Amino acid sequence: MGLRIVVGFKWVPNTQAVRIDPKTGTLIRQGVPSIINPPDLAAVELALRLRDRYGGEVIAATMGPPPAVKGLEHLISMGVDYGYMFSDRVFAGADTLATSYVLANGLKLIEGERGKVDLAIFGQETIDSSTAHIGAQVASWLEWPYVYYVRWAELTENSSIRVERIVEGYLEEYEVPLPAVLSVAMRAFKPRDITLKGKLRAKLEKPFKIVSNKDLGLDPRCVGLKGSPTIVAKVTYLPDIPRKREVYKPRDPRDGARWLLRKLLKDPETRDLILRQLWGG
Amino acid sequence: MSDGSKYDVVVVGAGPAGLSAAYLLARSGIKVLVLERGREPGSKSLFGGKVYAQPLRDVWPDLDKKAPIHRWVRVERFSLEWGGRLATLEYRLGKPVAFTTYLPELVKWMAGKAEEAGATILDEIVADEFIVKDGRIAGVRSGGDEVNADVVVDAEGVNRLLLEKIGLADPPDPSRLALGVKEVIRLKPDEIESRFGLSKGEGLSWLIAGEVTNGVPGGGFVYTMKDSVSIGIVLRVSSAVNAVEKGVINEHVSRMIERLRLHEYFGRFWRDGDIAEYGARLAIEGGLGYMPKKLVHDGLVVVGDAAGLLLNTGYTIRGVDFAVYSGKLAAEAILHALAVGDTSEETLRVYEEKLKSSFVYKELVSHKGIEDVMSDPWFFKALPSITVDVLKSLFEAEYEEPRILEAVMKSARETGTPLPLLIQKLLKAANL
Repeated sequence: MGLRIVVGFKWVPNTQAVRIDPKTGTLIRQGVPSIINPPDLAAVELALRLRDRYGGEVIAATMGPPPAVKGLEHLISMGVDYGYMFSDRVFAGADTLATSYVLANGLKLIEGERGKVDLAIFGQETIDSSTAHIGAQVASWLEWPYVYYVRWAELTENSSIRVERIVEGYLEEYEVPLPAVLSVAMRAFKPRDITLKGKLRAKLEKPFKIVSNKDLGLDPRCVGLKGSPTIVAKVTYLPDIPRKREVYKPRDPRDGARWLLRKLLKDPETRDLILRQLWGG
Repeated sequence: MSDGSKYDVVVVGAGPAGLSAAYLLARSGIKVLVLERGREPGSKSLFGGKVYAQPLRDVWPDLDKKAPIHRWVRVERFSLEWGGRLATLEYRLGKPVAFTTYLPELVKWMAGKAEEAGATILDEIVADEFIVKDGRIAGVRSGGDEVNADVVVDAEGVNRLLLEKIGLADPPDPSRLALGVKEVIRLKPDEIESRFGLSKGEGLSWLIAGEVTNGVPGGGFVYTMKDSVSIGIVLRVSSAVNAVEKGVINEHVSRMIERLRLHEYFGRFWRDGDIAEYGARLAIEGGLGYMPKKLVHDGLVVVGDAAGLLLNTGYTIRGVDFAVYSGKLAAEAILHALAVGDTSEETLRVYEEKLKSSFVYKELVSHKGIEDVMSDPWFFKALPSITVDVLKSLFEAEYEEPRILEAVMKSARETGTPLPLLIQKLLKAANL
């Protein structure tokens, strides 16, 4: 029988290459190449390993603009079996609530077309907004159990899934009935390379589908900008403050401590801080 | 569903050579697969900025209308620089024959043409090795996957890992290689035109020798793009290593290009521009010396940089047009071989023969002597120094102006070049 796994990904600007306009505080996206959100690749790798072990199929799903099809092609080149892209002008400007609404309903559409889904897997968070909402929200819409920070997963004998996560120094083990939603800890799985055969399949067979809201049929008030209660009120750019550096190399460390203390006491604010620490005043 | 593991032709490398072959083959109904290791076709391409158009028109007749051409080169400048003095020769072309562009843009356009014609291009796929069956090249291996082909076109570029593996090429000899670094500086089109003295849409190409590389064989270049200027340094790898070891220079190439960018004279042309990009790559200098033992083998054809098809005469650099033309000749030979059902070395040899009777090879052969010039530090240190010295004594004389020959002899003597040697060197440079 095997598992049918849907794995979510986001097509994001490569934030390492993005500069911030110091005047407006917004991202300068012009000329910045987009990539698959790197934490999502760990989710894809877990999905592929589960499929390789238990059989079944991995279906990649994303909500995004037309160029995101490049991301689908890449995942299929890695070995993902099929892809869905939910793409429509009315989806634009979505916050996480509106996005997860589309993805959850998209997952139902996938179930209708390809059969019952056992697992939905997401990355920990995206590099362009770092909310870590999507997994939890999709689980809420579907009313499926949800475990996050997952670093290992396998099926149990009674066909539920056993997952491990490490939180604050504790290794936790959960057993969750299927269907379930997981989000995978960043860097928990190293994504595999793409293959020539996979790439050929992506290019020639195009095993993916682009779905608009005509097929999804969601209320336009619940998607995109209209369906997004989150408002980014203000973005303030905090530039790096250049630090003054001095190097003092004493032979005796006590000289070093004295030198440092004398320097620190020169600044009245720092002196107050030190005195308060020493005498609790 | 088509069978993905067998193609008529597999091309390794989506650069100008590979894509011209792929385009012409696909257009004739041949099943072609192109493998490119970069993120997309052109992402590994980098060059100064000037392309000779005619050989490209032979492949893509719509080049002038459709290709991403930045400016048609109307002005050629050549400068010798030493001791803060500069002598410049400028030539205004009657009819432009070359254009400036960014190679990644041009290559992307070529890739689009090949795909339109029916070729399949896979990016981010590294060809690890050839499949060799009974001595003939039968396809390409990548990771655990194999693709079979009647003919493989090796367009892997200057770094010939595949050819080395089958013993057709030796690992690169540093004396045959140059390091190129370049920066792209953004400027408004009208600023470019007013600063360089160009009319609207006109382009300029400028080569500089002398202090720009501290006298190391190589030079500086400047090309005007649509809304940017591309500046850079080319250094002969072995000459640079030599100069560092002898203590002649102690300057990182990144400092060299910075010196060019901030140069008291040159810097004014791109003053206040933003650096938009920078990059570096290896280039062939050797030309014929870099050519593999043979350009064809059973089931294999070698084109472009991998075939050693690049010429640097000091006043022009040609590579893209040679590459494209070699791709065209390779496509013609392969079409013939597939038609007669024989892709042996003997049948494919028509490619090597055609190439050797084409302008590409003739150019390489007729400039063979330039090799000695381009590797001789004299031309990059003594020559610029003598030139500016002579001009100085002619133009900066306050009372008496020396006769030219006197001035030449005097400064030649001062740089340790006796007159007969000077004449001999100049004759060599004139390729006589």
